[in-house]
Amino acid sequence: MPDHKDILPPKLVRDRGSLHPINHIKDSIMELLTSFGFEIVDGPEIETEEFNFDMLNIKKSHPARQMHDTFYVENKSNLLRTHTSPVQIRGMLEKKPPLAFISGGKVYRKDDDATHLPMFHQVEGIYVDENVSFAQLKDLIYKIIYSLFGEEVELRFRPSYFPFTEPSAEVDILSKEGKWLEILGCGLVNPVVLKNCNINSDKYSGLAFGLGIERIAMLKHGVMDIREFYKSNLDFLSQFK
Amino acid sequence: MKIAYSHLAQHIEENPCIEQISDSLFQLGHEHEIDGSIFDMEFTPNRGDCLSINGLLRDLAVFYKVDLNQEVFTEHLNELQLDFENLSKNICPKISFLKLEIDKVPEIYKGSLNDYFEDLSLNKNNFFTDISNYLSYETGQPTHCYDANTINSKLIFHELKKNKEFETLLDKKITLKKKNSVFSLNNEVINLAGVVGGKSTSCSANTKTVIIECAFFKPEAIIGKSVKYDIQSDAAHKFERGVDPDCQDRVLRRFIKLVSEHANIKDMSIISHKYKDYPAHQIPVNVKKIGQILGININEKVYLSYLSKLGLVSNKGFITVPSYRSDVKTQNDLAEEVARVIGYDNIPTSEISIPKNKNTSHKDLEDKLRFFLLDNGFYEVINSPFVGFTAVEEAIKVDNPLDSNREYLRTNITNSLIENLLFNERRQKDSIKLFEISDVYSSSNGIKKKRKLSIIASGRVGENYKDFSKKINKKYLEMLFQEILPNKAFDFKIISRELLDTKIKNEIVTLEVDINSFPSDILFYKEASQAPKNFAQYSPISDLPSSIKDISYSIKDYSKTKELQDLLLNYKSDIIKNIYIFDYFKNEKKEEIKIGFRFTFQSKKATLNSAEIELVYNDIVNKSLNISGISIPGL
Repeated sequence: MPDHKDILPPKLVRDRGSLHPINHIKDSIMELLTSFGFEIVDGPEIETEEFNFDMLNIKKSHPARQMHDTFYVENKSNLLRTHTSPVQIRGMLEKKPPLAFISGGKVYRKDDDATHLPMFHQVEGIYVDENVSFAQLKDLIYKIIYSLFGEEVELRFRPSYFPFTEPSAEVDILSKEGKWLEILGCGLVNPVVLKNCNINSDKYSGLAFGLGIERIAMLKHGVMDIREFYKSNLDFLSQFK
Repeated sequence: MKIAYSHLAQHIEENPCIEQISDSLFQLGHEHEIDGSIFDMEFTPNRGDCLSINGLLRDLAVFYKVDLNQEVFTEHLNELQLDFENLSKNICPKISFLKLEIDKVPEIYKGSLNDYFEDLSLNKNNFFTDISNYLSYETGQPTHCYDANTINSKLIFHELKKNKEFETLLDKKITLKKKNSVFSLNNEVINLAGVVGGKSTSCSANTKTVIIECAFFKPEAIIGKSVKYDIQSDAAHKFERGVDPDCQDRVLRRFIKLVSEHANIKDMSIISHKYKDYPAHQIPVNVKKIGQILGININEKVYLSYLSKLGLVSNKGFITVPSYRSDVKTQNDLAEEVARVIGYDNIPTSEISIPKNKNTSHKDLEDKLRFFLLDNGFYEVINSPFVGFTAVEEAIKVDNPLDSNREYLRTNITNSLIENLLFNERRQKDSIKLFEISDVYSSSNGIKKKRKLSIIASGRVGENYKDFSKKINKKYLEMLFQEILPNKAFDFKIISRELLDTKIKNEIVTLEVDINSFPSDILFYKEASQAPKNFAQYSPISDLPSSIKDISYSIKDYSKTKELQDLLLNYKSDIIKNIYIFDYFKNEKKEEIKIGFRFTFQSKKATLNSAEIELVYNDIVNKSLNISGISIPGL
């Protein structure tokens, strides 16, 4: 027999785990935005109507406030936040402009199908300073989208409506299949919201934007059914190392 | 809302094709899909004024010459003697009634009324209701038709504050609850205002004398009613978003015109009640502010010409907002109008520079923990916070859960992880390590939030020849954490399987701990794992059963070990999901290497039968035995 003392045992493959793909996308976006100068702020998932709706210029009569759209808790004394915007309200109440915040996390709406879930994730940002304009908002959005999808991606801005921004826009990107896909909502902060946060809206203006993380994760990873993200199936999770 | 291309195009002088109109609509912010020659529109909730042919045409006037002057009846009308009382004028500040009598109900519809039903493939109802529906489509103003013969006493509009039975004209019986704005007759509800009329006073195919009600209801009084009573209502959709408070008489005169095109009108009369004026809203002309908001240079003449295309006319330094545009109130609103005319995509960008912020690393500790767990084979999961009944008194109850079996917010993460573990065990996973970091809420003298880390582990320590035979237990996890935090004791728990629906006996170990309780020593941990640089393309997974096959080899010629590994670990088959070395032993005395490979078979298409597995298995065996100096003991 030949001498094989130098034969090494097989390479020891120890399985490494993986970050959840939603958290990975969220963290990537937060990292990108902090590199632009945004500060991360956190807030509670259980909110008051005041912070989730009133301060954001969402009227009492707005359909989003209905029981069929929003989860209320503790005999309607509180609710599960429907967006991460209340975190920005809290931030604006605490600090004076110029300010640039981002917040990311879980939000809740009464939906449940292949593209919507009662719990999903958002990252939202706000920048308030003197003379913040729609043209600057567009520049920021281009930077975000190009960072996420590459500079070759085609995008379009569409007029839209959010009570807390005016003008408001939704941004679509053109998929490889030639279909426009909505990626984010944005706009200039409605002066009413600035006033609600004790910010002089004659002197300051702001921009705001929000991204749905699941939508971006589905596009980036090619996941067709949003529910796959939350089954905790190891066969699924192990694909995102 | 479905709108036929031809119904728009016939009012546009330039006769644009459907694609041109589609592009114009997108620029204006009116999202839609095209189905043949029909636009399936989705309007933003602030643009209730666009929920009609005329509304869309008013916006399209930005790009085209639009004729909006549909014919109306212009002659004098006698005053209708109708016994009516409005007890909720704040909810219904404007209301008109028109009474019409025709000699014969028409059998055939003409002109735009006919096109409406034909082009949109709609079912007809009865003559007056059909005109009412068409007018709502044309003008955006809903009307309601009562068979005049049924209105035999005083008609009262009021806010009902008690439970009352009501049968809709769609034959649906509902119980009105809490506050509802209604029309009543003889103490019975005959119309849920702005939502749906009642059966008792509805028109039929034989109705020749009709009373048409045309009102402005405050959106707040209508919102949520159609959902509450599960009634599909175009009228409610429009009233909720706000109709033009100044159009009611014109709409009724248009009603007359349409009726007169189809039947001889024997008698008609009208009464209008106005309890509140809606003076035109005015906004100062401030082109500098508009330029600042949008970040563009724009001169006043161009600015005013853009607004005038949308019916926003300037006079003496003010912009007068038409009654149908209740959404335009501020300079920012006007800026949006200008931006829509220019086109959002045509507004140039201006470089943004946000002052850099230094405080951005608040998640360092959490991230260190995550990567420490990743290094040790743990997978991060995210679970819904909604859970079933909990004995925890502080658990927060959801008032309106989506699923009545999940009406509480979880007070711990561990239970979610146990569900995750069982889910994966049912899928034949024998090494399961999961963790989740999440806020957990409870209620005791106010809402309390805790940020927690929870981990769960069970089964084999790992899928490799060193860890294959080792089972995860409490000691294993204690040692793992002691390596990085030797001075902190953790309260690992063993979960009893007795109450779990499983036959597997592996020990389940869990830990749930407040993130804040972790010492900052963790910050010195040097992680080996990294966040992925790329975004892996997901390959759909199979939920079909899997099968395991082990093959153990005896190698006398050590030099062949690598050749065997290369062959087997790189073996490709559609039905092989996973391959790893589960056993390796070098017997110096016998001069023999024993090496075992585990193959997991699973198809994405169908449950595999033994023949399909054997075919691949035999191929593996044959190819491996072609390597000299290798044998499979017992084969």
